[in-house]
Amino acid sequence: MRRREYLGLVSPSLVVMLGLLVFPLYKTVEWSLQRVNYGEPGTFLGLGNYAEALSDPRLGAAVLFTVGLTAAVVAVLLVGGYVLAVLVDSLGRAKPWVLGILLVSYVIPNVVGATMFSWMFDSNFGGIVNHIVSLFTGTEVLWFTDPWPNRLMVALDTVWFMLPFAMLVILAGLQGVPSEIVEAARIDGATGWRVHWHVIVPSIRGVLGFVAIISIMDVLRTYDQLVALSPQAPQIGNESIMLYIFNVAFQDGGQQLGLGSAVNVLLILLIVVLLSPFIRGIAKEARQS
Amino acid sequence: MPGSHGRRRWGAIAVVAVAAVLLSACGAGSRTPAATAAQVPCEFPAPPSEVNVNVLAYNSSAVDPFTNTMVKSCSRNGVTLNHEPIDYAGQQQKTIATLAGKYGTYDIVETYGFGIPQNAAVGKLVPLDDMLARYGQQFRLDELNPDMRRAMSYDGKLYGLPMQAQMYVMAYRKDVFDRLGLRPPRTFAELRSAAETIRRDGGIQYPLALPLLASSDIATAYDAALGSLGTDYVDRDTMRANFDTPAAAQAFEQLRSLMPVMDPQVTTFAQPAVQQQMYNGSAAIAIMFSGRMNDLTKPANSRFAGQFAFAPPPSVAGGPTLYNTLSVDGWSIPANTEVDPDLLFQMISASVGPEASKASVPGAFPARAGMVTPRSSPFAAAQLESIGKAPPAEPYPWSSRISTATTSVVADVVSGRTPIPEGTRKMQEIATEILAEYR
Repeated sequence: MRRREYLGLVSPSLVVMLGLLVFPLYKTVEWSLQRVNYGEPGTFLGLGNYAEALSDPRLGAAVLFTVGLTAAVVAVLLVGGYVLAVLVDSLGRAKPWVLGILLVSYVIPNVVGATMFSWMFDSNFGGIVNHIVSLFTGTEVLWFTDPWPNRLMVALDTVWFMLPFAMLVILAGLQGVPSEIVEAARIDGATGWRVHWHVIVPSIRGVLGFVAIISIMDVLRTYDQLVALSPQAPQIGNESIMLYIFNVAFQDGGQQLGLGSAVNVLLILLIVVLLSPFIRGIAKEARQS
Repeated sequence: MPGSHGRRRWGAIAVVAVAAVLLSACGAGSRTPAATAAQVPCEFPAPPSEVNVNVLAYNSSAVDPFTNTMVKSCSRNGVTLNHEPIDYAGQQQKTIATLAGKYGTYDIVETYGFGIPQNAAVGKLVPLDDMLARYGQQFRLDELNPDMRRAMSYDGKLYGLPMQAQMYVMAYRKDVFDRLGLRPPRTFAELRSAAETIRRDGGIQYPLALPLLASSDIATAYDAALGSLGTDYVDRDTMRANFDTPAAAQAFEQLRSLMPVMDPQVTTFAQPAVQQQMYNGSAAIAIMFSGRMNDLTKPANSRFAGQFAFAPPPSVAGGPTLYNTLSVDGWSIPANTEVDPDLLFQMISASVGPEASKASVPGAFPARAGMVTPRSSPFAAAQLESIGKAPPAEPYPWSSRISTATTSVVADVVSGRTPIPEGTRKMQEIATEILAEYR
């Protein structure tokens, strides 16, 4: 390919990336060092926003909640996604139908899905889960105001809408596992879960790493579902980092765009730290292959 | 039969094309149901070129009649009005954003008395007095309630044309009250007592429903309680915050005293959730803005629709001022609009005209005098008494800032996570810091 052709093909992507990724990132870093109100030029503050953010116990609580939610949900997504993918893979002609039905929760907008999900726990709107739990335990669970039941509800909703993605990617990965390897393992006496654990899972390690990376990034940016599922999130310690950013930047007191940007930069760093083992693993695998 | 197949294909394409055109036509103008829209005279000379006017107004049964009337009646003469559905919180955020820059997205914004001073003080809204003088007679604007006009003014200038007011009204189940020999409570003590009597009777475990959503409504509730005790957020003369006064603590004590007779998750309830409790029959008494009351009277919403009766809200401690907040809604013109403000003023004037105002009852309490009478709706008498005994407005640029900045503290105190003295101390600090910027 000639250099001119190469540049012609690459430049549109570069322009889009500069406009939609690099420029916003630059503005975020710039604003994180300023006091900024809408429509006004910022005034330089140095690291004042970072100092304010890091001294706010609410940010600490938000980081703890978000990282905890991410760890729990990603673990469930990897295990549940794998199990579901294996089950779907074993289906015959019904596979496309089952796949279509399973993908419904993934295509519903988060906030709509979360609102519908919240009704299952809200006695004002029928609350079928509430009803069943009360029937068996004789107690009323406060899903929206007690921290742990609320965390469980948020985690269940997140798993509900992200599981189809994990399942779909892992299912694609399963198609690439050579049947000869599986057959050879069976001839060697491996049965049941040993085939999965010792043969199939190592074969799709890269795919699982990819699912983990995407899921970690998605769950770390949890926001929409909390609007419907945790109206009292800051009070009960269930505020995610993104919700915290929204609250300080736009809601609590109005327009602290500088402070919000500083927390955004910290979030980017957190995402990089949490993803680095997975990225290293994938890079290593790519080099080896 | 290729010919027949081809004809069928062209037929299908034609049907799809016609459907697409019809659907796109339905999508023009307001995207909220226009059943409440009145067709009113909206006369203005055609502008030299086509004009698009973007309207920002949240959806509720009280505001929709005015918005829909304006969109329906004024989309003519080369002018197209656009209105997208949005909730109250969304409107708040979009208002801040659209007013901020040199160019805004919206040309007409729905505003309310509490928020006017903050934007008017920094020149983000167009003063309307000159245009009021020019078009007042044509649109009979002199009939707009003078108190509501004052509520939409700042520093002696009018920044919003009032359309309607909302005040707290108490809805209660008349069948339950009659059976238990109860009368509508006039104080918080009577309210607690009535709720406890209903609970003891069985069937309704949490008889009282208030909108106390921790991220927003709870601040309005606290302001209403404080106002009923005769105290403002900030002393008008000394410009000093009042959160360190005994009334500030008493307002919290009184709100907290209601918690045992409310759903334990009440701090997650906005007004629609309170309505839902009443629809379901899981609550027997509710206090919320009057704009929400009309929904209760519709049999399609609740099997108890015929059982709801209405009264003014109680006062917190028996004083003359009720547990109440008077919120006046109106139309404002952003200073950064590129559309001729004169043209926009004629549109907003048409939307608050006599026909539109009359059509808005009972969903709204229009700003035009004499529109709401005890015969016009089941809750008109309650509205009229409530509006006369509301705490005075606090028309200062710092009021809404203090309210927003202290909301999470109020939520922590009401829900019992923060002791009252610690909460009031924090609020005093927050308010003092904000007030310092205005000294």
